[in-house]
Amino acid sequence: MTSYSQETIRDLMAGTLPWPQTRRIMSAYKDEDRFWKALAVLQDRVAWADPILLPISEHLFIAQTAGGRVTKCECGHEFGDYRQNWKLAAAVLVRDNDALLREIYPTSDLPDPEWMELREFLCPSCGVIHEVEACAPGYPVLHEFQPDLEGFYADWLGRPLPAEG
Amino acid sequence: MTMHETIERPLPLRDRLFASERLMEETGCYDGITDLTLRKLDPLKFETLHTKLRATCVSAREMARRISASPGVREVGEMVVALYTPEGDAVALSNGIMVHVHTMSRFIKWMIREGYEENPGIAPGDIFANNDAFIGTVQVPDVMDVVPIFHEGELVGWAGAVCHELESGGITPGGDVCLAQERFTEGLFVCAEKIGANDEIRRDYVIRCERNLRMPIYWVLDEKAKVAACLEIREGVKEIIREVGIDYWMRVMKEFIEEGRRGQLARTRQLTVPGIYRGHTFYGHVTEGKQGFQPLGPMDWLYNIPIEMEITRDGRMVMDFEGTQPWGYHSMNCTPAGMDGGMFVTLTQHMNFEGLVNDGAWMATELKLPHGTWTNPDNEMVATATSWALLLPAYGVFQRLLSRGFLARGYVEEAFVGQVNSPMIEMGGTSQYGGPFGMAHFECAAAGSGALAIKDGLDTAYVGWNPESDMGNIEIWEQNMPMVYIGRSILPDSGGAGKYRGGCAFISTWLVNKTDHLRLVTSEHSSRVFDNAGMCGGYPAPSCQKHRAVREPNLAERIEKRLPLAHEVGTDPARSDFEKLLEGEHDTVEGPYITRPHKHGDIFSHSYNGGGGFGDVLERDPVKTAIDVENGHLTEAAAREVFGIVVTPGAEPGTFVADLKATAALRKEMRARRLARAVPVTDWIAAERARVSRRRFAPEVRQMYAAAMRLSDRFRGEFTGFWGLDHGFDMLEGDKA
Repeated sequence: MTSYSQETIRDLMAGTLPWPQTRRIMSAYKDEDRFWKALAVLQDRVAWADPILLPISEHLFIAQTAGGRVTKCECGHEFGDYRQNWKLAAAVLVRDNDALLREIYPTSDLPDPEWMELREFLCPSCGVIHEVEACAPGYPVLHEFQPDLEGFYADWLGRPLPAEG
Repeated sequence: MTMHETIERPLPLRDRLFASERLMEETGCYDGITDLTLRKLDPLKFETLHTKLRATCVSAREMARRISASPGVREVGEMVVALYTPEGDAVALSNGIMVHVHTMSRFIKWMIREGYEENPGIAPGDIFANNDAFIGTVQVPDVMDVVPIFHEGELVGWAGAVCHELESGGITPGGDVCLAQERFTEGLFVCAEKIGANDEIRRDYVIRCERNLRMPIYWVLDEKAKVAACLEIREGVKEIIREVGIDYWMRVMKEFIEEGRRGQLARTRQLTVPGIYRGHTFYGHVTEGKQGFQPLGPMDWLYNIPIEMEITRDGRMVMDFEGTQPWGYHSMNCTPAGMDGGMFVTLTQHMNFEGLVNDGAWMATELKLPHGTWTNPDNEMVATATSWALLLPAYGVFQRLLSRGFLARGYVEEAFVGQVNSPMIEMGGTSQYGGPFGMAHFECAAAGSGALAIKDGLDTAYVGWNPESDMGNIEIWEQNMPMVYIGRSILPDSGGAGKYRGGCAFISTWLVNKTDHLRLVTSEHSSRVFDNAGMCGGYPAPSCQKHRAVREPNLAERIEKRLPLAHEVGTDPARSDFEKLLEGEHDTVEGPYITRPHKHGDIFSHSYNGGGGFGDVLERDPVKTAIDVENGHLTEAAAREVFGIVVTPGAEPGTFVADLKATAALRKEMRARRLARAVPVTDWIAAERARVSRRRFAPEVRQMYAAAMRLSDRFRGEFTGFWGLDHGFDMLEGDKA
């Protein structure tokens, strides 16, 4: 069975693994223990101790905390219950005019801000942008991912979720 | 149990098809194959045979490409070849435009359901062709040929091949006929037609092609190439049957598909996480004031394409397009066949990298295509000539949804921001040789890809519909069109910004050559809105860039005086290099470009699209960025203003180095500014709610919401629920801006 060291997975996730090695991993049969190794790498990366249950974005995780299972930023900021849309507890910068769009597209033709805006959802503590929505003005905020956490752990991983509280 | 106890032979084809579908319903397994008997009996023989079939398909395609005259097929590889069961399910396929593997399946099943066995009859040596998307293809230029494979009088399979034709005889030249607003202007239709017998294409069919196409040499030679590929497969299958016996053959085809189905379910469980995934994209189309477009519906419109994907605990993927827009009087409608094809080609790239790749993978998925929407029109007269315009962004969303699952599962190397539209340019009129001509320029098959979760996207090397992206050689295109290149270069800043940037696109600039009548038309051109997106904090790539044309520029004079020429548009959006350097009549036009003919000496430029970015821009590697500036992928301005990276000229001319200290200071300042300018989402929603309730949107935006709510009560509920409005809220009546 294919398996890699935790260091290899760490470098792969950091984008620092040399390309020939990365390419071999992409072409090989998948390593079945990846999820646990990836989780361990992420757990080492964060400065807090709450167990990470699932990564949902580059710096956003579902973590088991004393207050329940919450969506949590790498910096430690908590966005509340993981079943709720974390974006509603984020900060947002909306680019809905030419001047604001021009900051991101300095040399290109711009879309029409009457038809389209960018919404940067960021962590109110550290300022990292977790997601950018490109949508028509007035579009409801998207709840991008609602994982079936119980099903995933119990049925797919064969390990029950750690008990809450 | 005997090998094919499940279906007794020989039943009429239609009965076999219905029995196969019933068995799938009853057992949940393809054709009732609950046990992979042959695989268990001799796995090596089983696997070897599938590899051989795949090799037969690949080799048939390569051979056929050399028969074709079309640079689309020869250079860019716009062709695919596949083998099917008697009921029309794909067993094995070649590389190439795999989107059509499943659309051909629909074509074969359509003929079976329509009773083709009785009339016009299905006999050894027959050749059937189709390019009707409601029967089974994506758009008119995707012409498919299939031939039946017989063994001792019994139909034992089908061989099929598709080429994308560069000219299909529509109201405008090329194949992606953007001016088509109904089926009747899309070009030459071949509707599940028997076009040949005894392995020979009928002369009257060829005559019809020759008299209805601007450039019949492409279509007709492609027909010969496809038939040759099909015959190659047919003979290969006969050889295999001689080797393994007919009983083994009839069973093993089915087992291959069932294994493909099981493999897809297993891979979904291995690579993703069960749950609900959501995404959306948009497409803006502008035709107001453009000559030729009939006022049959709104002239300018905005489409929303929301997708909800459920991955169930048993590994099934269900994609639901509820809430999207109705079909319209434009060329961008799609049929369920096209939607299936999009799903198939995306899966083959993302998940079917091992095991048996065939229709089994598609069977492990489900598409919910609301009737009456552009994904499933309730009117078969609609045009589908540029269905890729909506199909590609939609499957770009699918790629991002899948990637969220890969990312959550830790397989970061598989996460990919996905594909984008890349606008097509087509042309016709009088060629440089003096005769009529028409063609699609297929260099668009080399756009920028979205970023990956661990690296930048591919520059000028990816399109979703053909994973073997290729832009073709300049010299080949110049041979086939009355234009010569005066520029083909990387388009700086065309990838979406992010920790990993999207792949860059390129821009071509042509000088019209030796013709007094050149019609240029572009399509799949979304300039008003982003039709792609980034992921995990990355930005979308720029929207489609406008076309810049110069009529009667003073180029000859500048050449004579040895003055600098303009080879590209440049990086000043307010004033192009053409405007800075050339005299003449300057046009800056949003696509689709459709205007009076060009002539010798005119200049035209066309940009392709880059891909979306991944991750926060302020985390991008400064050293890599300096190399990007050096190579023309990013401008210094973008590096500084967007990424917060200060680069300075290096010691060697043309080199750049990152100033790490200045970068750190700038980024600190940018992060602080970001936080200072952002507001709590709850505050923003409260303010925005007032705008929504007063309907203060552009007319096209209001129209989009009204249409989505009219077709979908669920969308209505989600929209009004989010903004706290009455369920019956009318977007078109009441306060406006």
